[in-house]
Amino acid sequence: MTVLRCAWHVAAKDLRTELRAPGRMLAMLAFTALAAFLFGMTLDRARVEPAAVAGPFLWLVMLFSATAGASRAFDAEDEDGAFRHLLLAPAPRSALFLGKTGANAILVAAAAAAAFVAFVVFLGVPGQGRPAAHAGVLLPGAIGLAAAGTFFGRMAGHSSLGDALLPVLLFPLLAPVVFFGATATGRLLSDRPWPEVAGLVRLLWACALAALAAGGLLFRHVVDD
Amino acid sequence: MILEGRGLACAYGPTRALDGVSFAAGDGVLAVFGPNGAGKSTLLRVLAGERRPDAGEVLLDGVALSADRFAWRARIGVAGHRSGLYAKLTVAQNLLFFASLHGRTTPGEVRAALAAVEAERLADRQAGALSRGERQLTTLARALMRDPELLLLDEPFTGLDASSSSVLETALRDRGRRGRIVVLVTHDIARGAALADRVVVLRRGRKALDLPEDEVNPGRIVAAMGGREGQRDEAGHADQADQADQAGHAGRAGQADEAGQADHADHAGHADQADQADQAGEFDQAGELRQADKAGQAGELGQARTPEAARP
Repeated sequence: MTVLRCAWHVAAKDLRTELRAPGRMLAMLAFTALAAFLFGMTLDRARVEPAAVAGPFLWLVMLFSATAGASRAFDAEDEDGAFRHLLLAPAPRSALFLGKTGANAILVAAAAAAAFVAFVVFLGVPGQGRPAAHAGVLLPGAIGLAAAGTFFGRMAGHSSLGDALLPVLLFPLLAPVVFFGATATGRLLSDRPWPEVAGLVRLLWACALAALAAGGLLFRHVVDD
Repeated sequence: MILEGRGLACAYGPTRALDGVSFAAGDGVLAVFGPNGAGKSTLLRVLAGERRPDAGEVLLDGVALSADRFAWRARIGVAGHRSGLYAKLTVAQNLLFFASLHGRTTPGEVRAALAAVEAERLADRQAGALSRGERQLTTLARALMRDPELLLLDEPFTGLDASSSSVLETALRDRGRRGRIVVLVTHDIARGAALADRVVVLRRGRKALDLPEDEVNPGRIVAAMGGREGQRDEAGHADQADQADQAGHAGRAGQADEAGQADHADHAGHADQADQADQAGEFDQAGELRQADKAGQAGELGQARTPEAARP
């Protein structure tokens, strides 16, 4: 069985489970909306231009939202020992990782889209004009955040520190993703041309692919005896 | 088809869970008994490929597990203590998902697997809403799907009513007739012995007894679990429990088996005293001898562990 087909089955199962009980998705969406609302309420618009700070704010919200989602990514597996049976199946570990990451990436991307809309509404930033360009920035970011979150989420879940360890592991590694993404989003919100953003998007894709490749190769060391 | 374990050894820190266990089993049911902490679950984990043994090797028809773990997982089915089901999905969705990880599977195959354990009615039920017995049936249906060459079962009768237990027994016997191997770990000595084509008893990580079908005897199993069968072997002559069995003065377990009353006792949930002692956790994980074991060796555990008490 191919890695991709197996990954597809895992991702579809995760999304189906999430649709049946959308607790994780709702928590991520609620967090992004509330964070955008609070930023919008507390920002002193007389001294700070919203478009200048919206990029970093948006990516920090994405980072926290992805971390919260990653910490619960394996809840369904751990509830009654399903993860053991995933590992007993003749499925490559890389496929399990890619499937879990795929489902996580969709949730993070949905949360990022919701966050973007919330920032446009609550901060009044001019983001309506270039939705495709913004999507082009957010998508590789969501994949990178999801890949690292899935990998370290599993690792942290088995440590004595539990989920408390996840931000400690995750945030330093994701600092480049947040930096490139925040800079790119900031430039788009400042109405700068695409060529000034394209290089950052390539770096975001490089980070995302590196996280996917490293996670796919190393996941078996996290889950196997 | 032959399943072989050669010199299997596993340790968790200073605790030796398996210590040089070797066995060979052909088609049919290999029943593995032993007190808590004897190494039964570790043996199953090794056979499933979940745990790499520190020493030794597992082979199925001469092919080593370590040669290709990926291929090995395609040959086995496993049902353990926990159901491993996704609570938010239906039974059919659960089975279809796990089967899909083995290759293409149709909903019809899922229904057939449920039918094999007479659980078709559960197909559209949400797994989180199932009773303990229904979850167990679903777990068994998943393990039986795709007709694995090696089926590994850990206490499969737990939670099953008499009817479901009977269906499972039939399914296990049928697998043996069709050239498949079932490794059955259970505390239910009477039922396990009745099903077994071969019996292995583990004690403190070591093999205490290995019997072919025609020598399976619940009294000897109980004695080996209590550590007295090994004394007999080392001494080269039968111990009191064995003598009692041979003389027709078997303890309660042996009597129940011979009188055909074992099933009744098991369905009523009346495990024998040795089993109760085990289930009460009176053997710690390190395999250290604790109160029950000492009592057993001293002949104070009652009929099941000390059949001499049944003597006239």
